[in-house]
Amino acid sequence: MHIAVLAKVVPDYEVPARDFELAGNRAHSRYTRMIGLYDENAVETGIQLKEKYGAKLSIVSYGHGDDVPILRKAIAMGGDTLHLVLGDSDDPYVIAANLEMALEQIKDVDLVLAGQQSADQDRGIVHGILSEMLGYTFLAQISRIEFDQDRWTVHQNHENGSRVLQFSRKAVLSITSSHENVPRIPVVRAIMAAKKKPVEKLQGIDAAPMKAEEIKVEIPKLESICEFLPLDDLQQTAKILLARLREERYL
Amino acid sequence: MKTLIIEKIEPKIIGELVTVGRILGETPDLLAIGQGEIPGTFNRAFQCRETIAANLVDSLAELIQKNAYQVILLSATTLGSEIAGRLGARLKAPVLSEVIEVKPDMTVKRPVYGGKAVAEYKIPEGHVILTIRRKYFEPALLEGTSAAEALTIENPSITLLSEDQIQTQGVRLEDAEIIVSGGRGMGDSGNFEILREMAGLLNAAVGASRGAVDEGWVPQTMQVGQTGNIVAPAVYFAVGISGASQHLAGIANAKCVVAVNKDEEANIFKRARFGIVSDYRNFIPVLIRALREEQ
Repeated sequence: MHIAVLAKVVPDYEVPARDFELAGNRAHSRYTRMIGLYDENAVETGIQLKEKYGAKLSIVSYGHGDDVPILRKAIAMGGDTLHLVLGDSDDPYVIAANLEMALEQIKDVDLVLAGQQSADQDRGIVHGILSEMLGYTFLAQISRIEFDQDRWTVHQNHENGSRVLQFSRKAVLSITSSHENVPRIPVVRAIMAAKKKPVEKLQGIDAAPMKAEEIKVEIPKLESICEFLPLDDLQQTAKILLARLREERYL
Repeated sequence: MKTLIIEKIEPKIIGELVTVGRILGETPDLLAIGQGEIPGTFNRAFQCRETIAANLVDSLAELIQKNAYQVILLSATTLGSEIAGRLGARLKAPVLSEVIEVKPDMTVKRPVYGGKAVAEYKIPEGHVILTIRRKYFEPALLEGTSAAEALTIENPSITLLSEDQIQTQGVRLEDAEIIVSGGRGMGDSGNFEILREMAGLLNAAVGASRGAVDEGWVPQTMQVGQTGNIVAPAVYFAVGISGASQHLAGIANAKCVVAVNKDEEANIFKRARFGIVSDYRNFIPVLIRALREEQ
């Protein structure tokens, strides 16, 4: 069994809105870079499958050469190999074409996992496009994966609950966060060992971008001004709060 | 622009998509997923009983090309995200997800960086696939029902083994005018009971942040945020919620946010109308007493 996990390095997604700044149409380069929020859930899911079924686990990314030290975290968590396609596009079709190229070169991948969406462009569509390019099936919002007798059984979250699905083809799965795939914190020895692992760098390829012109990116104004209620007497605080909510016709 | 909505038979969601379709031109046609009557009057409606999106793509692409639909509208749900990317690649069409604003000149806006910025796009002629974020468009009133042409699926590759629909007690999160939500600061699954008690007195729904869901304290159907439920209540009580941008993106349309958090530096206070810097264990029981006294 060979599993590939797609991991994207993004600007710090925990920067609060009040401190967020653009440079041109993208996040300012001063922010720390890190593996995307849901991509870490996907890495954790991949590691659990590796541990349970003895799978080989490849980490695949598209981005800058500078991303390598950040991506090594996925190796320290439990990934076996790291493959980075060099490129700087953030077009979903270009990214998907480059990831397809990398996966075709890696060969024999049975299952591709990716976080449900990147933590910068927040699109959640690259994995679907990629699956179509690869000719694999695609399922979204997967929280648990099991394998038995050549069949994958997966748990899919949806707005009204969840369901259990089964298939036997190769697939791309988008992974959502759950209490079962909270990313592990790598131990120091694993971090040190990950630094010595070779990285395969692949030259990116040209591909046709999406036919939609990005006109502008703006930071919306935060209009809310918080009124902190007095805390000397909490009973009074509660009464003031309810009165204010009624005065302003929220209740 | 000839437009097709693809959506489960849920009148509010279909209504939101009809509103978007009308901004772009005429009332769209509908492909309804699942069983039941088709709500609303459509010039042309199709119905497919298969609900696994991965099994639908081949037939959808054929239907779209045969009928020359240009704009495909989906809701930004599990179904929508499962279809949009594959269909886009199949049709070689741009895909814009989580759209929050649509204009007749074919410009659309969508949030990026966890809602900290908004990107605007111009859509060219030809096929385009849009997934629409919930609660940003007033649902059109769907009157009457429509007869539908059946769309059949051949050789599905995915099998449904079981389905678990969470039965919500009380008010549904997406319909709630008041929501009481708890975060990691709640500390424990059992501590959500106090929020349920408060919600009962306010006729409110109970929600949670991603942190609380990841801890396993509450089911994911209660998750509010960019990747959970997008809500638009009159009042949103955020209890023990720090206010990560991904959470704030889910409550962008809440009219009034009341934040209860013992950390005065918590980001949630930047979004709140009223702030109570207190341990919820001290304040919420007092608020519950005040609500009881009012009854």
